[in-house]
Amino acid sequence: MAFQLSDYLVTDDLTILLCLIAASLFLLSNLYKPQPLVHPILLGRQSDVARVRNPGQSAVYRNYGTGMMGRLPVRPAKDINLLTDLVKVDFDAPRTLWSTKITNPELRERFMNFGTGLIRLTNLTAKESNVLVLLDDSIEFLLADLALASHSIASFTLTSLDLLSPVLERHPPDAIICHASFLPQLMELIYDSAETGHHTIIVVGESPDGPLTLAGVRVLKWDDVEKNGKQTEKIISPAPDPNDIFTVSFFSSRPGELRGAQLTHQNLTAGVAAARVLLPLSSAISPLDTIVSAHSMNTAYGRSIAYMAVYEGTSFATLDSTKIFAGAEATAEDTSDLTNVSNLPIPFPTIAFLKPGHVHSLTTSILERAKQSSRLLFQTAWRHKLSGLAEGFLTKDSLWDRIVFEGARQTVVGVGAGTVRGVVVSGGPLEAAALPAARVALSVPIVNAFTNPLVPGPVLASHPLDLQSFPVPGEASSDPFAQHYHCGPPSINVEAKLLGVKDDVVEAGGDPEGALFVRGPSVGKELVFGEDSWEQVNGDEEGWVATGVRGKVVSNGTFKVVVA
Amino acid sequence: MPSFDLGAPINTALLLYILYAVQRILFPPSSSVKSKSTQIPTEFKHGYSWMPKAHPPTVLFTTYTPKTLEPYNGKDGGRILLAIDGTVFDVTAGRNFYGPNGMYGNFAGRDATRGMAKQSFDEEMLTPVDQPLDKCEDLVPEEIENMKGWIDHFSNKYIICGKLVENDAI
Repeated sequence: MAFQLSDYLVTDDLTILLCLIAASLFLLSNLYKPQPLVHPILLGRQSDVARVRNPGQSAVYRNYGTGMMGRLPVRPAKDINLLTDLVKVDFDAPRTLWSTKITNPELRERFMNFGTGLIRLTNLTAKESNVLVLLDDSIEFLLADLALASHSIASFTLTSLDLLSPVLERHPPDAIICHASFLPQLMELIYDSAETGHHTIIVVGESPDGPLTLAGVRVLKWDDVEKNGKQTEKIISPAPDPNDIFTVSFFSSRPGELRGAQLTHQNLTAGVAAARVLLPLSSAISPLDTIVSAHSMNTAYGRSIAYMAVYEGTSFATLDSTKIFAGAEATAEDTSDLTNVSNLPIPFPTIAFLKPGHVHSLTTSILERAKQSSRLLFQTAWRHKLSGLAEGFLTKDSLWDRIVFEGARQTVVGVGAGTVRGVVVSGGPLEAAALPAARVALSVPIVNAFTNPLVPGPVLASHPLDLQSFPVPGEASSDPFAQHYHCGPPSINVEAKLLGVKDDVVEAGGDPEGALFVRGPSVGKELVFGEDSWEQVNGDEEGWVATGVRGKVVSNGTFKVVVA
Repeated sequence: MPSFDLGAPINTALLLYILYAVQRILFPPSSSVKSKSTQIPTEFKHGYSWMPKAHPPTVLFTTYTPKTLEPYNGKDGGRILLAIDGTVFDVTAGRNFYGPNGMYGNFAGRDATRGMAKQSFDEEMLTPVDQPLDKCEDLVPEEIENMKGWIDHFSNKYIICGKLVENDAI
């Protein structure tokens, strides 16, 4: 017996060689497994939950980082109480906002000039007058907003063009600011509505058809107003209180209704505080970044992104699809929308706030392009990326990116493809089944945020390094939440709860499902037009505001949202 | 001269292992293999995409009457509840004090308003469960202050989980 065994166990130098190779391969495969970007234990508890809940409601959920006992952050830094404080005084490096290279002191100078000129040339009074701002996102919008806020004059903005006539009718403003190309349309509306009051219109840009006049309407040029302010003595108004309303953003969730989101200075500083922590701390926003946004500044969320960019000192631009007034041919939300931003003289975008349409279009184009180059390489790269994702790991600098994906990205997005380092998606549901493909194609942290017209800043925002993917049931599922990707826990200064929850389901351990209500320093108040007058709706007696969507919470504290 | 005998069993076995390991590294197992088991892991050690088994425990805010509150005195090892001024607190965490053998065990499952105000744990401070709730109208302001102080202490330390109403109010 022993004789036969030693025959089989004959070893030679090849054995030693093979032994060494086998040992090193074993160590390699075990030690160099990709490490998750965030430890999975943290992903199991993303919300802090209250210990008690009222019957028919879920418990109150807060972000785990804030905690049930913590204070909800109200401002991004200690002294930022008003909108104008967001233009930091001590920061003076130049950056490009849309197509203007400007520093903070210059920005301050310009909006103070405009404010002074506006008050001198029109008869606006603080706290009483209203100005309707009909501008697409541009530096003039920012200047007008800051100027009006600094003089406590409320500004009105519209999120869509069909709200213009109802607003002119029910809440006539004292002055209007609009683009030159929109002026004829506006004049027609004023003429049609037979307004007895006198309007003042401030026009941005040159009118292509020459100067327009209408009885009872005074037309001023933006440049003239700024020049007037520059040449005359500055008017300094008393500083507004952070709880003063500085803007009303009119929106409608159903055709025919008109609702206004009244935002105070505090709502917006809280929104900026929440928006700036969307991306991981290790790659926080700095003045070297360039932010592009697909959300118009006419909406509360778009406004908070713009002001976050202003506060952080980054360059900023918005995509063409945000245009409502001038050039309102509907621009599709896809890749070309994103690539057209390279027409502006801003540096390559690093952080993009997009809509689901953009992400979907980018993913399909990039993956198609990658498949075209080499089928076999693409399959191998795809497998490697997916196995990395299953371990919770994703990077833009891996071997496979360099071989396959980076080339595809550059072809689709342009030379600036390599600089994008974070994407925040909001404005619609994101499909859970499509997300791994999007992650592979973009290979950057993708944050899914839920936003609401009443809340500047995100309401719910997913963890940026959360790469978990759960099985998605097939098409035949009756659960409306099943196909959507989760929106994460509430953002750092929002409390959320669900109303209309089935108590027996929750007591048995099921997931609470109901209407989503939120509360927090960034939630604005609503203005609703009743039978013939405006009424302020403050939410219920504890300050909870209805968002109008249905939500479901799962056991790790993340919310899934479905429009009711 | 070194011998390289690939036919030797050990060498063959090692070679096969090496080829297998190399194949695993170059072509990682695709996700279709992993998603065979549609059970979502409930521990983070069992998988990256895991989900905790249960929601964090929450207590349903309930309206109690003296009769329905009385069973919660911890004698059967269950929750211990205590009411002060109409607010019911879940003091299960303080079983040492409010449990059956605790110093203040008298208060478990009862309305302790008078006892908290007068700083006494005697039986006389408790009203029987079938009688109306103690109105506490004869308390002096200091005692009411004391009771409010206790309510603050309890609110910080324990969970408010209900309210106490009269026996016939439900």
